[in-house]
Amino acid sequence: MSSGRTVVGHNVRKVEGVKLVTGGPAFTDDIQLPGLLYGKILPSPYAHARIKRIDTRKAKALPGVHAVLTYKNVPRVPHTTAGQAWPEPSPYDTYLLDSKVRFVGDRVAAVAAESRAIAEKALRLIEVEYDVLPAVLDMEQAMAPGAAVIHDEPDSKGIYDASRNIAGYILRGIGDVDQGFRDSDRIFEREYRTQRQQHCPLEPHITISWLDGDGRLVIRTSTQVPYHSRRQVAMILQIPVSRIHVIKPRMGGGFGGKQEMLLEDICGALALAARRPVKIEYTREEEFYMARTRHPQILRMKMGVKRDGTILASQLTVVATTGAYGSHSTTVQGNTGSKVLPLYRAEHMRFECHVVYTNTPVAGAFRGYGCPQGFFAQETLVDEIANDLGIDPVEFHRQNVIRLGDTDRLSAQLGEGKEGLPRIVRSCGLPECLDRAAAAIGWTGKRQALPAAGHLKRGVGMACTMQGSGIAGIDWASAFLKMNEDGSFFLQTGAADVGGGADTVLSQIAAETLGVSLDKIVITSGDTDTTPFDVGAYASSTTIISGGAVKKAAEKVREQVLRMAAKMLDTPVENLTCGDNRVSAVGKSATMTEIALHSMYKEKTQIMDGASHFNTDSPPPFCATFAEVEVDTETGKVRVLHMATAVDPGTAINPAQAEGQVEGAVAQGLGYALTEELVLDGAGRPLNPNFLDYKIFGAKDMPKLTTILVETDEPLGPYGAKSISEVPINGPAPAIANAIFHAIGVRFRKLPIRPEDVLRALREKETVADDQCV
Amino acid sequence: MFDRVEAFYRPGTVREALRLLQNGKNRARVVAGGTDLVVEADRSIRFLIDITHAGLSYIRRRGKACVIGATTTMATLENSPAIRALAGGILARAAATCGSVQIRNMATLGGNLANGSPAADTATPLLALDAEVVLADARGRRKIPLTAFYSGLRKTAPGKALLIEVVIPALPRGGRWSFQKLGRTESDISLVNAAAGLQLDSKGRAKWARIALGAVAPTPIRAVNAEKLLVGRKVDESTLAEVCDQVAREVQPITDVRASAEYRREMCRVLVRRALEECAAGTGCSL
Ligand SMILES: Cc1cc2nc3c(=O)[nH]c(=O)nc-3n(C[C@H](O)[C@H](O)[C@H](O)COP(=O)(O)OP(=O)(O)OC[C@H]3O[C@@H](n4cnc5c(N)ncnc54)[C@H](O)[C@@H]3O)c2cc1C
Repeated sequence: MSSGRTVVGHNVRKVEGVKLVTGGPAFTDDIQLPGLLYGKILPSPYAHARIKRIDTRKAKALPGVHAVLTYKNVPRVPHTTAGQAWPEPSPYDTYLLDSKVRFVGDRVAAVAAESRAIAEKALRLIEVEYDVLPAVLDMEQAMAPGAAVIHDEPDSKGIYDASRNIAGYILRGIGDVDQGFRDSDRIFEREYRTQRQQHCPLEPHITISWLDGDGRLVIRTSTQVPYHSRRQVAMILQIPVSRIHVIKPRMGGGFGGKQEMLLEDICGALALAARRPVKIEYTREEEFYMARTRHPQILRMKMGVKRDGTILASQLTVVATTGAYGSHSTTVQGNTGSKVLPLYRAEHMRFECHVVYTNTPVAGAFRGYGCPQGFFAQETLVDEIANDLGIDPVEFHRQNVIRLGDTDRLSAQLGEGKEGLPRIVRSCGLPECLDRAAAAIGWTGKRQALPAAGHLKRGVGMACTMQGSGIAGIDWASAFLKMNEDGSFFLQTGAADVGGGADTVLSQIAAETLGVSLDKIVITSGDTDTTPFDVGAYASSTTIISGGAVKKAAEKVREQVLRMAAKMLDTPVENLTCGDNRVSAVGKSATMTEIALHSMYKEKTQIMDGASHFNTDSPPPFCATFAEVEVDTETGKVRVLHMATAVDPGTAINPAQAEGQVEGAVAQGLGYALTEELVLDGAGRPLNPNFLDYKIFGAKDMPKLTTILVETDEPLGPYGAKSISEVPINGPAPAIANAIFHAIGVRFRKLPIRPEDVLRALREKETVADDQCV
Repeated sequence: MFDRVEAFYRPGTVREALRLLQNGKNRARVVAGGTDLVVEADRSIRFLIDITHAGLSYIRRRGKACVIGATTTMATLENSPAIRALAGGILARAAATCGSVQIRNMATLGGNLANGSPAADTATPLLALDAEVVLADARGRRKIPLTAFYSGLRKTAPGKALLIEVVIPALPRGGRWSFQKLGRTESDISLVNAAAGLQLDSKGRAKWARIALGAVAPTPIRAVNAEKLLVGRKVDESTLAEVCDQVAREVQPITDVRASAEYRREMCRVLVRRALEECAAGTGCSL
């Protein structure tokens, strides 16, 4: 798709790459402030308790302690920590500090002191007497009569039914599923369970806050949502937005965990109280249970099909837990329906979901945003159906998946917490994704291969998935460009590069549009004082939405450049083109530098302009994931041998970065499938909040990866781009589960698929087989 | 995490190290690679004594024995031609499975043993190799069998003593060896590990046998009864089944977040069977 393009579609270097690899100051923590204090949060040791008495006198008296905060000396403002557009669709059920704690790790108090050691000591000196309440840990019991009520406070808002611990409820559908099931030849129904996964960013949550010379509150923070955080902190701390300056430096990953106003409020409150700069950085352990996780779900999936494999009806019924607070509760779960079911062209669809509170770590946004759970259920069930009907799963997909020109009507029913907009498929590379990923894994041969003798059994499995590109009608962004004397341009955007390369992609779009080389674009991003608004990095929106804003702004600036050049060259604008760092007409041209100097010193005009952008549709990127596994039937261990992932991201603005997104998503998806789970004990305490016990896939664990970009041209995206960062995380779990079935003939419907579970299932299968022989 | 540490010493000799250890009383701790100690973050520590410069990094032949200094790193063991050639390379292989490259560059053999973890990956092959350890304290040096070194969960003999070196005595002629490890990912603490040594007589019967296991009891253990069952018998299917059943009776695994006791017990059978099969086949460990 890069025909004729000089910057877009090329593997240019990451714009901040040199700074990162040379170890220069780049991240939130890479700053030294005189008088910096260390902030620390006292976590609740109980899953559910009321604070009967809290005495901070000893902590305050400790030399070196500059602030101690409890619910008694901070404002009480109900809010959500979900970094979403205003008004947030998540319930306002959270308080800066509260007299009730709702999970192990909930905030009890916070201190700021001259060293980490003093801060830790101060926490130990805070005397707290708790009235321990019965805890609700099991999501299936949360709604039961008599279950302890987690949000019994009167001032929370937007909770669906606090008395039954229901944070949110969703019921949507198209057609008539009951009729669909009646018309079906076969009906399949299964239950699936997914676990609590943590984002595990290399850089944990960290915020440094101080008052600048004008007494404004500066918040330097590792966030995906600088602007939403500014608005939320202003509301919580009751200071005007204009008195807050949020800065997002380079980030060591977020994966959704930082689409959250998590430490900014408490760090700001400590800085205001101490009148000194304060830093709070989560330890790895804190990151595991005091940040956010993926929502665990129990999914009941039912599908009705014709004998020829045509899907007529699909119904998904979900119970999910959002943990102690409802951050992203209905929106994540809404996606479990709206982005998953419409992968197929069934006439009848129904999605129902209860999102319940439990006294467990808070769930939130996490790459895939509800889709990994839904696709695990759907794609495992579909594999079962195909096998049962004797249809090759790839064929089954080809027959049923959404196509170019189709309208996804369920999305219109399931928007971001309210009615959404219909989704029309204007670009679709899914058939080619299927073909190429199948070829890469060697599908046909391996599906037909005879089972091996011995204890190592191999199998191949696949899954198809999709996602969105921005939230239709809600996500928006803006960008501003101004020209410098040397013909370069400053690009200002509120977009938040989390490490995925947004700054590079946005610079590429600006450079391409202006006809200049990439080095002529100097980007500033994610700073609420110096860059215009952007919702932030989430919903796979940055390339399409922020990129759309950059392209519009660059087009406006190009107009100004051309008009200036037209004067200089005495040629009508229509005859001029931008390219190669100059504006040219037949026989004459002016360099960008000449144009800039002319504009500034002769015409006394700053060439500059800005633009805002949003879409009324969310074009889906598509993905086909194929896995080959080897199961050790003696240990139950599953070794993934090969993952082939083909993605249709629209145009890949930067193919190397796009591939990097796929590989990273596959690594996280592998952990989700096989090893990752934050486990709680019977009192709600985390049992494995560290990398020795919580196993993510490391370099040595990675299988062979084949990554294929199937580019299409999306009319709604800048230069045809859609998105890529989320969609590839959805496929590994179902593809691997299906490959395991192919290898050993056992279905797994619960994640992660641990060696113990595999072994147990194999034993049960043997027992059943033996029984049948008798 | 070491904000309470008042002094960090780096003695150049064992004598100096012992003196510092003596002076530090209960508040001094030896540190080698620090890969266990730093994670443990014991707040009672006031003095750290770094022994990596005390002349204990060596691999030597002493008569028929192979002697390994306590601060020899896992990376050194993994790459040493002598250790790779010794007993089918089981010690080198075990060292190679410890953590990541970065960990193995720091982690020492002495630390792995002295830390007292039942999952220490080098302890298992060393038990199968009848290894002894040399300890030193103010009163002098003594050599004890590795089996006597471990006295309980995370309890080891040194107390105030320093682990100086590990001695691997002469090995039975024609010995065959194997090391097996099961973790959840490639760099993981063992859920179970096993080492085996076998000497066969001319009729293919086991003349001498060693079976050791890690992570399935309060200390790394030898399955002595299983060894006894094996000796004098042909290593065939029925012997293996009996031996593995005996192994499963001899271990006392626990349930934790990594795996259940039942699974670990089952894996003891699988790993020991694989180890003995590998020994019997005489293919040895491959690195
Ligand atoms: C990420 C990670 C992965 C790991 N993976 C593995 C693994 O796969 N397998 C495995 O077995 N281990 C593993 N470990 C544990 C650790 O690396 C090993 O146990 C290592 O060998 C310890 O050696 P060290 O030199 O670092 O010990 P240190 O941490 O320096 O010391 C450990 C203990 O032994 C004492 N000590 C050290 N040397 C002596 C001595 N000569 N005399 C007396 N006392 C002494 C110290 O006082 C301390 O109590 C892992 C650790 C980490 C952090």
